[in-house]
Amino acid sequence: MRQVWRVGLDLLLEAIRRRWFLALFAFVTLALVLVGQALQVQVVDGAIAGSTLFGEVLFDDIFLADRVLGPVYLATAYLGFFVGIPVLAVACCDFAPELMAPGRIEHLLSLPVARWQVVAGTYLGVVTLAAATTLYASAGLTVLLGLKTGLWNGRLVLASMVGWVGFCALYAPMLAAAIVVRSAALSAATGFVTLVFGVMSSVREQIIPSLEPGLGRFVFRWAVMPFPRLGTLARASAHLASGQTVPADHLGRLVGGALIFSAALLALSAYQFERKDF
Amino acid sequence: MDSAVVVENLSKTWRPPLGPPQPALSGLTLTIPRGAAFGLIGPNGAGKTTFIKLLLAVARPTGGTVEVLGGDPEDTRIRARVGYLPERMHLPAALSGGDFLRSVAALKRLRPSEAALRVSMERVGLGTTKQRIATYSKGMRQRLGLAAALLGGPDLLVLDEPTDGIDPVGRVELRELLVAERRRGTTLLVNSHLLAETERVCDRIGILDRGRLRLEGTLEEVRRSSTHWVARFAEGAPADRLREAGFVATGDGWAFTGPLGGPDAEALNAALDRARAAGARLVELAPSSRDLEQVLSETLERPL
Repeated sequence: MRQVWRVGLDLLLEAIRRRWFLALFAFVTLALVLVGQALQVQVVDGAIAGSTLFGEVLFDDIFLADRVLGPVYLATAYLGFFVGIPVLAVACCDFAPELMAPGRIEHLLSLPVARWQVVAGTYLGVVTLAAATTLYASAGLTVLLGLKTGLWNGRLVLASMVGWVGFCALYAPMLAAAIVVRSAALSAATGFVTLVFGVMSSVREQIIPSLEPGLGRFVFRWAVMPFPRLGTLARASAHLASGQTVPADHLGRLVGGALIFSAALLALSAYQFERKDF
Repeated sequence: MDSAVVVENLSKTWRPPLGPPQPALSGLTLTIPRGAAFGLIGPNGAGKTTFIKLLLAVARPTGGTVEVLGGDPEDTRIRARVGYLPERMHLPAALSGGDFLRSVAALKRLRPSEAALRVSMERVGLGTTKQRIATYSKGMRQRLGLAAALLGGPDLLVLDEPTDGIDPVGRVELRELLVAERRRGTTLLVNSHLLAETERVCDRIGILDRGRLRLEGTLEEVRRSSTHWVARFAEGAPADRLREAGFVATGDGWAFTGPLGGPDAEALNAALDRARAAGARLVELAPSSRDLEQVLSETLERPL
């Protein structure tokens, strides 16, 4: 297991040294600072009496802070899931192909590290990086809104971690694709397709009746079935963020499904990598 | 004798997803004794890099067996004792030289101090550990790869085109470094296109061509694997009688080729007896010794 961590840590070190990731963190920081500066909130006895963003009045009625923040957290969670995750996927799509570059992979495999450890370490490094980015952004926004409104809770951080599970499910097929064909573009495209199929998997019962009975319906049902219900996971994440109740068993099934999907793809990746000649 | 590498009947056929299978090695049998400096030479596409990849389990053989340092190269404990410098090493450009060495050391389960890392880099002629690899020249990258291969004092050092991109001064330094490693007891396996370099460093040579080992032995054996001996006779030796005895005039004496095409002692002595009986006085007899370029050219039966 130590070798897995070492491969992962090397990947993290490389990510830290890459300007791209410095730029990503700088962008998140800048966005937080900008929102912090632009958002003016008047809080009176735990209620928000008015709010402006970039000088524009958002509302001037009195609302409970929790009622205002709920929709903000909800929108942020959806944004994080459907914009943040694809951005992260694009940012991480070349790690595995880069690791498998001719002249680099031969050297790595000549070291005392097993092939499955290379695969697991790469996955671990990327999902850790994604977790760090997600936590940084969600915790930053929580602190910012907490300072502005005086309302402190960890719902957005919790929701972002649920969203991160979605990224884990997205990156597993990306890694598998990169092992089969060493291409960052194909890896990113696989992530995109997984997201689309994951959303369709969430609404498959609604889509299926609209399809003609027969082969099309059969193919659709079986094509989306293996994918984790990413759309439902996004909704659960957003509901958690906004303070709505999400039944634990429902959340458990969604997270469990995404993790099982990731584990299965990771096992497939390790199998492919084990058999591959370089 | 204890062996560092033993391969038997080794074969490898690459199977690209598109296109026909490409045989790279076929029926290769070879033993490299421990402590030897083995030079693998041959033309492009001979299978040299494939052979090295099979030794390190980077690729898997189609047939045959590979044993490295007495074990299976798939075993990470065996690979921990091997240092490898690949051909055209691709280094992570975002890291510094020190970062890269630290990373390789960690994967080799070593914990070198900062001072030890600096010494490793200085040993290959690199000054600072902090410089980013992106700013390295080709030669500097090669030196860093070599420093990584030498980490932990490997028992077997596999170098694929080690002098690629290194200037002449650097080559001399590299040679000294390899000599020092040999003195330490390291087995060297060097694949290089630079035959003069190979000749200076290695004491055993293998010539690979089209996936087959065409010639293998000590440097002396290989250089003398000639089909003739060169004899020099005192002034006044009767040229016509020497020719009758089987000698052929060459630039530096009289060459004798045995009836089987090799340095056959019986045939040589019979020819010398005939020459002496005709009044020729032998002053020098030596097997023809050629440089590796000639050996390679003759072995491949085509000009280089």
